[in-house]
This record gives sequence, C-alpha cells and structure tokens, in this order.
Amino acid sequence: MVNLFYYIVEYFKYSPKIIQLLWASSVVFTLIIIGLSIYLNHIRIRLRAKERIKAVYQKKYESDLIEYLYSGNGVDEISKEQQIIIDYLSNCAKSSLKRKIIISTLLKLKDEISGEIADAIQKLYCQTGLVNYASYKLKSKKWDVIAKGIKELAQFEIKDALNDVIEHIDHPKREVRKEIQMYLVKLFRFEGLEFLNILTNQLSEWDQIQLLEILQKFENQHIPDITKWLESSNNSVVSFSLKLAKIYNQYEAKDHIINLLNHSNQEIRIESINVLSHFGDIDSLIILKSDFNQRSIEEQVIIFKMMEDINEVSDIPFLLEHINNMNFDIKVSVTKILKKLKNSEANDSRFITTDIEYSEKTSLIKAS
Amino acid sequence: MNTSKKIVLAEDNSILALLLKYKLEKEGYTLLMAKDGKEAIELIELHNPEIILTDIMMPFVSGLEVISYVRNKLNLTTPIIVFSSSGQEEMVLNAFNIGATDFMSKPFSPNELIIRIKRLLFNKTIFDKTW
Repeated sequence: MVNLFYYIVEYFKYSPKIIQLLWASSVVFTLIIIGLSIYLNHIRIRLRAKERIKAVYQKKYESDLIEYLYSGNGVDEISKEQQIIIDYLSNCAKSSLKRKIIISTLLKLKDEISGEIADAIQKLYCQTGLVNYASYKLKSKKWDVIAKGIKELAQFEIKDALNDVIEHIDHPKREVRKEIQMYLVKLFRFEGLEFLNILTNQLSEWDQIQLLEILQKFENQHIPDITKWLESSNNSVVSFSLKLAKIYNQYEAKDHIINLLNHSNQEIRIESINVLSHFGDIDSLIILKSDFNQRSIEEQVIIFKMMEDINEVSDIPFLLEHINNMNFDIKVSVTKILKKLKNSEANDSRFITTDIEYSEKTSLIKAS
Repeated sequence: MNTSKKIVLAEDNSILALLLKYKLEKEGYTLLMAKDGKEAIELIELHNPEIILTDIMMPFVSGLEVISYVRNKLNLTTPIIVFSSSGQEEMVLNAFNIGATDFMSKPFSPNELIIRIKRLLFNKTIFDKTW
C-alpha cells in the first residue's frame, strides 16, 4: 500500500506539467462533485422533513379551523372554544413557517366556500392578528413583500387597509401597482376604478384584461361615469375607458368618444372608431368621412370596416372614390359594402342603371 | 329521519371535504369520503349511497368519469351533484350530458348544498314510491 502511494507520488512528480494539471483538476472536480452530492442529499432530506412538518401542521390547522367554525354559539360573541383556537393560532402565527401554513389553510377553504363560513374565516384572519402581519408588509422596502401583502389583504377582503394600500398606487414596480389595482377592483368593484383618476403610470394591456375579467364577475353591473377617464392625460386610462365603454355600452359617453377621434395617439383614435362602430353611430361616420384623407392608413382601414356595418346609399360616391385604393383591405371593404348596398337596393334601379361608372367599377362585385 | 341516508363525497380539497362532512353529519347524513374518483367508485359500489357529491377535477379519475361509471356501468339513477370552479362551464355541460343531476359552482354555500340535497332526496323518494 505504501509502495503504491510512493509510486503515485513519483509518477505525479515526474509527469509532464500538463498531465499534472489534468490530474489535479480531476481530483478537484471529483471533490466538488462529492461535496455537491452530499449537499444536495442534505437539502433533499431537509425539504422532505419540512414537507412532513408542513403536512402535520396543515392537518392540525384544518381541524382547528373546522372546530372554530362549528364551535360558535350562533351569535356574534366568541365562544370559549373559539377563543382557545384564536389564542393558539395567534401564538403559532409568530413563526413565519406556521403563519404561511395557517394562511394557506384559511385560503384553501375560503376560495371554495361562500356565505357565512367565508365571513367567519375572514373574521378569524383578523382575530388571530394575521391581518397585522400583512399590513406590516406594506411598510417593507422590498417591492415583492409589499406586493405579497397587498395580495393577501385582497384575498381576505380587508377593506380597512385601503389607506395603506393606496399609498403605493404609483409604486415604480408594475407588480405592486397591479396588485393594488386588483385589490381595489376586487373589494370595491366599479368604485375601485377611482384609482384611474390619479394613476400616472401606464396600465398595461394585460392589467386591463385582468381588471375587466374581475369586473365581469360582479352581479351589479352599474358602471360609474367614465367621461372623466376618457379625458385623462394618461393614454392607458383612456384606452381602458374605451374598453369599458364598449363592453358596458356606454352610449352616453358618445360625444366624449367622438372628441377622441382627434386624439394625438393613433391607437386611441383607432379604438374610438371601433367603439363608435360598435355603437352603430352614424354621426361619427359623417365626421370621419369629412376628414378621411387626413387620417392614417390604419384609421382609414378601420373606417371602412365600420362602414361595412353602417352604410347607406348616399355613401356610394364616397365608396366609388376609393374602389381603386392602393390598400387591399380598403379595396375589399369597399367591394363588400357596394355588394351589400347593391343587394339591399336591388329594386332601386335609379343608381345602378344610370351610374355607368358604378356599373363598370363593380364588375368585380358581380363576379364575386 | 335522515340517519340512514348515505352520501358519497368525492373531493380532493381535504379541508372542504372535512367541512362538508361535519355539516352533513350534523344534518343526520352518513358521509363516505373519497379523495379522488377512484376511491369514490369503490365506495359507491360498496355502499350504494342515496346521493353522490363529486368535484369535477380530481386526480386519477375525474368527476366526469365517476358520473359515466355510475350511469353506464352500474346503471344507477342515484342523484349526482357536481362541484365546478369558474371556467369549467363546458365541463359542467358535459357532466349534465352524461347524467349529472345538479351542479354547484365554487365558491358555494354549504347551506345551499344541504337544501339541494334535501330536495333531490325528496324527489328521489317520490320517484321510488311512484315506480
């Protein structure tokens, strides 16, 4: 054995440098792999132990919660059994791990149940002081902690935290702003949209979709006045208001939307045309036709799309002007509208037979 | 009156299952709990319950498969109430097509569930007496 060791040392000593380097690196990497394997095994054992502990506590908290819910005496007063559970859970909540398990247990049931049991869970959340931990998160310097705090308050529907939450409405992190918007809309419904009055940051398209999805779940679909948001200097607020106008058929806001046809932002102008088209508003079409040539090609395409739904015989001269438009979409729209008008006015030979230009230009329509 | 009425509850949310167990046992029903569709089928075959409550989404065997098994393999007319979450509307329609009797959308009120169970059991009693 000793000889073997001396042989290895001698071999290493008299080997070329490159071989020595390779052997040294092999030994180093082997040691690293062994170290990492031991470390990974240790992590795995710890995680499994943690999962086991979590499962045990979760089971315990589940039965505590059920006991709390069924040990009430039917009135608003807290029974003796309930108080014991509240004290126990408050004590457990001092540990971060146990607090997380208690919250996940409460949410696991709250998400599936409505009515008085859901209210009782919310009450327990406040009685155990868990609400204070969530409110305390709002004072953190870390954005992710703030976002988690707001999300938790929204999940448990804690309306009292509004003032603390609203302080972060213009937080530099989008995630925090998103959680605040969700909190406001989820808890205060359409009234929660008041944050649009003070929002200076942009409301992303995804945020808008999520807000609309929450709003559509509510039974009371009475929407507040959106005209002030249509005049907002924040383009994303205007865009969101246009979506509200379309979904909730806010025809009363029509005049404000017509004003947006001359907005500096092209996207908003296009969205406005779409909303007015949805309303079937002929007045706006007259305005759009009057300054048609000053508008961008994207707007022109949308105007013709609008005309596919709203058209009349008097539009024919205007349509004929654009039947040879360079843009293919416009050309197709014009053809569709003329075909539609031709079908609806089939008995009116006045414009079909006398207008030679029309007859020539619509040969494509006949073919289609 | 309800002491002998057996209900099979297939629900993978342990705390919801526990809550419904307490609630329904308080009303005098005997609850047989399954945490997935496979266990539910075994309980149904073994106990022939008066009513079946099942979640749609469950591990191993789904609520839809439980309904299909009860109606097509066991040929039972036992009332089945399915629990669904939002966004599972199409699955609820499928559940009705294959023989579900009623459905409740989560989050639901346990009190409302009890009313529905009582109504279905009442209808079942009348049906059994008539035929």
